[in-house]
Amino acid sequence: MSTGQEQLQDNMRLPAEVLYREELEALRKEDKGNIPAGWQMSPRSVFTFIAGGKAGNTVITPKYIGNTRLIEMAVATLVTDRALLLIGEPGTAKSWLSENLAAAIYGNSGLVVQGTAGTSEEHVRYSWNYAMLLANGPTPEALVKSPIMRAMEEGGIARFEEISRCASEVQDALISILSEKTISVPELGKETGARKGFSIIATANTRDRGVNEMSAALKRRFNIIVLPAPSDLETELSIVKKRVAEIASSYELQAAVPADEALLKVVTIFRELRSGMTLDKKEKVKTPAGVISTAEAISLLTNSMALAASFGSGVLTDGDLAAGLQGAIVKDDDKDKLVWKEYLDNVMKKKGAEWRGLYQACKEMNE
Amino acid sequence: MNPAAQAGVHIFGVRHLSPGGAKHLLEYLEELQPTAVLIEGPSDATDEIRHLTHQATKPPVAILAFTGELPVRTALWPFAVYSPEYQGMKWAKANGAEVAFIDLPAAVTLGLQDALRREENPGRSRKPSSEDRTESSGTEAPAYESIYSRIARLAGEYDYDMYWERNYEHNSSAGAYRSALLSFSAQMRALSEGMEQREEPREHAYNALREAYMRRQIKLRIEAGHRPDKIVVICGAYHAAALADLSETISDEEIAKLPSRSSKLTLMPYSYYKLTTMSGYGAGNSAPHYFEMMWEGMEKGRPDELPHRYLSSVARLVRSGGAHRSTAEVIEAVRLAESLAALHEGSAPTLRDLRDAAQTLLGHGDLSAVAEALARVDVGTAIGSLAEGVSQTPIQEDLNRLLKRYKLEKYKSTVANDLSLDLRENRRVTSEEAAYLDLYRSVLFHRLNLLGISFAINRPSGQEGATWAEHWTIQWSPEVEIQVVESTLLGETIEVAAAYVLREKLQNCHDVADASGLIRLACQCAMTSQIEEGSRALQGLAVDSRDVVGIAAAARELSMIISFGDIRKVDTAPLVPLLEQLFRRGCLFLLDASGCNDEAADRMITAMNELNGIALEHSETVDDHLWLQELLNLSSRDDRNPRLSGFACAILMERGMISAEEVSAEVSRRLSPGIPADLGAGWFEGLSMRGRYGLLSRMSLWEQLDGYINALEDEEFKRALVFLRRAFSTFSPREKTMISELLGELWGVNAEQAAEILTGELKEEEAKMLEELNDFDFGNF
Repeated sequence: MSTGQEQLQDNMRLPAEVLYREELEALRKEDKGNIPAGWQMSPRSVFTFIAGGKAGNTVITPKYIGNTRLIEMAVATLVTDRALLLIGEPGTAKSWLSENLAAAIYGNSGLVVQGTAGTSEEHVRYSWNYAMLLANGPTPEALVKSPIMRAMEEGGIARFEEISRCASEVQDALISILSEKTISVPELGKETGARKGFSIIATANTRDRGVNEMSAALKRRFNIIVLPAPSDLETELSIVKKRVAEIASSYELQAAVPADEALLKVVTIFRELRSGMTLDKKEKVKTPAGVISTAEAISLLTNSMALAASFGSGVLTDGDLAAGLQGAIVKDDDKDKLVWKEYLDNVMKKKGAEWRGLYQACKEMNE
Repeated sequence: MNPAAQAGVHIFGVRHLSPGGAKHLLEYLEELQPTAVLIEGPSDATDEIRHLTHQATKPPVAILAFTGELPVRTALWPFAVYSPEYQGMKWAKANGAEVAFIDLPAAVTLGLQDALRREENPGRSRKPSSEDRTESSGTEAPAYESIYSRIARLAGEYDYDMYWERNYEHNSSAGAYRSALLSFSAQMRALSEGMEQREEPREHAYNALREAYMRRQIKLRIEAGHRPDKIVVICGAYHAAALADLSETISDEEIAKLPSRSSKLTLMPYSYYKLTTMSGYGAGNSAPHYFEMMWEGMEKGRPDELPHRYLSSVARLVRSGGAHRSTAEVIEAVRLAESLAALHEGSAPTLRDLRDAAQTLLGHGDLSAVAEALARVDVGTAIGSLAEGVSQTPIQEDLNRLLKRYKLEKYKSTVANDLSLDLRENRRVTSEEAAYLDLYRSVLFHRLNLLGISFAINRPSGQEGATWAEHWTIQWSPEVEIQVVESTLLGETIEVAAAYVLREKLQNCHDVADASGLIRLACQCAMTSQIEEGSRALQGLAVDSRDVVGIAAAARELSMIISFGDIRKVDTAPLVPLLEQLFRRGCLFLLDASGCNDEAADRMITAMNELNGIALEHSETVDDHLWLQELLNLSSRDDRNPRLSGFACAILMERGMISAEEVSAEVSRRLSPGIPADLGAGWFEGLSMRGRYGLLSRMSLWEQLDGYINALEDEEFKRALVFLRRAFSTFSPREKTMISELLGELWGVNAEQAAEILTGELKEEEAKMLEELNDFDFGNF
């Protein structure tokens, strides 16, 4: 087990239950609430783990910044053994929230089905080790269980990412699993019933609506919570700040964490382009075709930090930021380039002296 | 019971709109069997209690106090069925206990309001609404909001309402509500009183005054022979702690010194919707219907059914909106709401929990899918009602008098009635009143409309331009009653109030067309002095306006008023100079405004029609000569919109101002080869919009048109065709037949054959060609 842990330390990205092990342990130790069957801690502690707070002397960092009522609704849903569906624009922390919920409730966020157009029913139910199947016929040993089936056996939480990307017949396979809470294996003549604590957290993208529209029958089996884009500048700023610092430390980027001023600028630009108007609501702004989510702002900033660290002085310059902005906003060359140019000239140029440097750099970049 | 409480009267602090409070209060009253129930409310309204508790009274109702003279000040005390005060009154009546209001009389409340407002530092922004004054008693005075949201946060709730509902409304253990609220209020006062004294000295003084007055009233009841421990005082939680010790009271002399305004009191029906829009008033106001459901559940002894009832109601409304929602989803929503409540260690879901559950399960995560249903279940549409004759404000009396005088009483029913009015003098009757009965009725209806009282609704008359006939649909409803009572604030009588509203509107009017509309309104409402004011306003606006379309519309409006004013017995003479002025302005700016694109030309054509109509109708007053001059000018110009030039020519032709030769010269000039098709054909389109018979009778004109079309190149012809097709599309079949006859004669074809070809169905081939024309590229125009 210890070698496994060491291996994990080398991973690019640690699962939430490893990353926040101390916090989870502290919460479990200090937990005084009622713990539902199959859960690792009380619903209140799960809430604290996500929303932040204190457990004894341990500070619990907030994992989801924004409307904490949504977290409550998510936790309450899972208490009622209903499946949870998180939907939202790309980059609204759906997967992040689902991972942390699974880590807190079940202690393992790794039972994941990653939905794609190629996901088949076997990924949802079970498949076979064909060598063994051919050699011995259907035996329990030859059965390859899906993450969902394993979660059922263990009474844990399975995650289903990007459910709306799967073909509808794959989605349909979930319907009976969610209502009957069993998976039958007719070849073995047995059924796997879910133990208490089993649930599914699925995520779906609002931008994918209409690709594989979820059926009403499936929707009915989920409690649906819509995760909004951060409601105000301060919220978004604190999200970006926190995540950038976290990522910078885990990737050991050799650049200084960007100054608050640079963060403010990036978040302002993103918010204005996303909402289609300036922050003071006085001017209309064209929105680019691409997604301009908080997640993009975070990756833009870490990107710029990497640029600064590898090819620059280690301090984020306007040029680095401009390169990042160009890449994040201008995706569909022609139109986005015009949108960006218009924004630069109509809005950013008028923002005053502090923006001068960034404006010049962006302008050059966009030529 | 502790000895201290035994000695004094029993104070029951409540939140003003609180079903939990009402339930606990009733239990408390039952247990104590008091001989007097004293309620926080204007003491001069005690007489109204018998009306409030009357069988026929259906809450929500309100006590309205208002001053007779300007500036009008008002104060309002609303009651819902779940108001503890209301239930307390009902209990007292049923059990034969004395019941009275003990707060400052409304006259003093209004007087103080006045004094406070005068003293107020204008630079300092304060909650302005009158209702706040009546509700400083609440536990939610806005100035201390931060304390309340801090309490909510400490309790782990999202807002104070949620905290309140969870900890007070849902608290069913006997006596808990009262004792919890008493200690809450005492501690809250200890915490905030000092600060209030410093930062809101007036507020503090006002509260101290009210409390001293209430203490005195309580003392009076004790002196009158009620045993102190048989008296229950129902008041806002904030005052509960201050009323226990009766030592400090206000004296007669001090009361006499208080500012006071002569004022009147009335009961009025109220609506749940209004309850939600009231600013500053206490809890429960955001969702009256929800709290009514809660109260009903408590009365039935089944408060735990509320989530089921609430969510089923929402689901039913969502279903009636066309979306399918299963019972299973309602069940899951109830479970989610209960699980949310359990997260907060609550015994039952709060409104917020229920709303969130509804959004997640019934709205599939989308608030907009359930927003309407939620609003309807939360707020409800209930409107209160009072026994006949209970609600009496001067304006109601005035209206009733007018209805009687104009023999309209029978229409005061909740069934919609139609009434047709003939505004002309009825010559078969002798008295003037009877002769103009319908006119007076019309004036009354128009005034009511102006006041926003939806008693009579004007339906468009079937007969175009019959200014002497009006059709009204008349229906009385509780909402109308509310609207009438509210109009009291605008004036004592319908006429005074209507005049006030009209003056306000005139002062806020910035548009020539609006101003003329208001003048018409003033005529319809028979308000002579407002007509004059209106014409002054219009004149002021017209001086700066260069918008011919707006001026023409306003002038048309005036011309209508002048022409038909005598039917309404209105003296329109002062409007005549104004009409002249507007008309002149319209003429002078005609040429300027005619340099416009085709889209604007449509509106200009309407304006020119209107101006020409005025010129004909009022030829003795307006400057017709100038009009014709300007038209001549326009028709001869080549640099204006060709359609407008053509239209000007048509008017001149119709008015006989240009001779046949001149017309034909103009036609040949306009339609000569080499003139771009859009100009030539556009001009012809304008020309053909008026006086068609004049056109049809002139053979030479058609010859010229024929020649012009023949002379066009293929490409040019296609362009011209687009315009000509549009020009002829408005011709009636009969006119088209006449044209075809003319052309037949011209080409030497049999007239009937020509007609057949021109008016018959299109052949497939021709239809295809026309299709192609529809794709015609206008880009190079």
